Amino acid sequence: MIRPSAQFRAAVQRTTPPVLILLSAAIIMLGKADEAMFDSVRTRIADTAAPALDALSWPLGAAGSAVDRVRGVFAMYQDNLRLERENERLLQWQQIALRLTADNRQLRGLLKAVPDGAVSYVTARVIANSGGGYVRTVMINAGNDAGLVRGQAVTTGEGLVGRLTEVGSRAARVLLITDLNSRIPVVVESSHVSAVLAGDNSERPRLVYLGESNAVKIGDRVVTSGEGGVFPPGLPVGMVAALNPAGPRVEPYVELSQLGHVLVVDYGLSTALPQPVTVTPHAVRRGKQVAGDEAGR
Amino acid sequence: MAALPRVNNGAARLLPVLTMLVAALATILPVRVPGYAALTPAFTLMAVYHWTIYRPDLLPAVALFTVGLAEDLLTGAPVGVGALVLLLARAAVLQYRRYFVNRAFPFVWSGFTLLAGTAMLGLWALHCAVDLSLLDLRNTVFRTVVTIAVFPAASFLLGRTQRRLMGAARLAGAA
Repeated sequence: MIRPSAQFRAAVQRTTPPVLILLSAAIIMLGKADEAMFDSVRTRIADTAAPALDALSWPLGAAGSAVDRVRGVFAMYQDNLRLERENERLLQWQQIALRLTADNRQLRGLLKAVPDGAVSYVTARVIANSGGGYVRTVMINAGNDAGLVRGQAVTTGEGLVGRLTEVGSRAARVLLITDLNSRIPVVVESSHVSAVLAGDNSERPRLVYLGESNAVKIGDRVVTSGEGGVFPPGLPVGMVAALNPAGPRVEPYVELSQLGHVLVVDYGLSTALPQPVTVTPHAVRRGKQVAGDEAGR
Repeated sequence: MAALPRVNNGAARLLPVLTMLVAALATILPVRVPGYAALTPAFTLMAVYHWTIYRPDLLPAVALFTVGLAEDLLTGAPVGVGALVLLLARAAVLQYRRYFVNRAFPFVWSGFTLLAGTAMLGLWALHCAVDLSLLDLRNTVFRTVVTIAVFPAASFLLGRTQRRLMGAARLAGAA
């Protein structure tokens, strides 16, 4: 066996770091030229790391819920009062909803309208963040094996979280609505103004391409419009929180830093019965002002 | 470079690379603190600084390159950006290593402050170049501050594991 001489080995050791630096720069440029080049590598490494991340992140989730429980004990009395008030308001809403459903069914029958496609959900847990503020994604522990497909919407009970960008066999990556590359067609519910929700890596994404910016007020509910078949329509996204010259800022309904379990929406045509989306107290709390106004009428 | 004590134990030789992997995984752990995701401390940078000062022979550039790529792939960042920053950080620390080897911790910490500031600024510039747009600098500044603040804890952990597994009473190094 030919042993490389000490000089040769030293030379290799000296030149390795600069070569690697150039190689990294080349990889960056390659990735820029062809966006999808590293996608398969990325999904494969996510699949490899998914079991480890799953195990590592589980104690964090358990710790988080333990902290929540302790906090809940302290806030029990206040929470109880608040929940009783919300319950009264929700019961009023329930009556309105039942009435509207009955009217809706009648009117659809009259119009011979086509029924919406059935919606089913896959539950998954968040196993990894993307550290650092340049990318806002999370990794979930479900992939192709669970029936997930790229582009599907991800929600929680409170609202929209994002959409799937890379799907491996055991894990998938969710592009959050706050990410720089996230663009979601939405509609402002009360005024029916359509817009695009553009993330910019901050906590509150902006509304761009707004039809009539004057019609949007603080407190307006923003939901997905379903345009382009990207997302199912009507998914709650957030509430208009500020009106800046660059565009209104939307406060998402979902607390994106507290993601635990998420639902991946399968808006395909399946024969299964549609599952209801439960309304949790959080969603009502954020839209409290709007709900309070309307229910009081 | 003067000779560092030889480490014959195979497991101990892998220790720096293992801590780099742990640091990469720690960067993506979903800690449920509001705002944490944007301000995650740069654990891999801390590990690179520590090992390049005290045991550069056990953290070769190839291992750094691989861990950097893996971190990029796992976080969803443009592939190669993290690897490039880590390699450049290693080169910079190697250059000035001799000033930090036998010094007390506060001096080492201020050295890290310089490195973190430069590295995070470079990372920001790289991301701006890749995205072809001017990104928000404030978040980078906050993240740098958090990284510098967390460094003592990371350095303590790294030093303890190093001492235990290598059994060295004093960390030898080039004068």
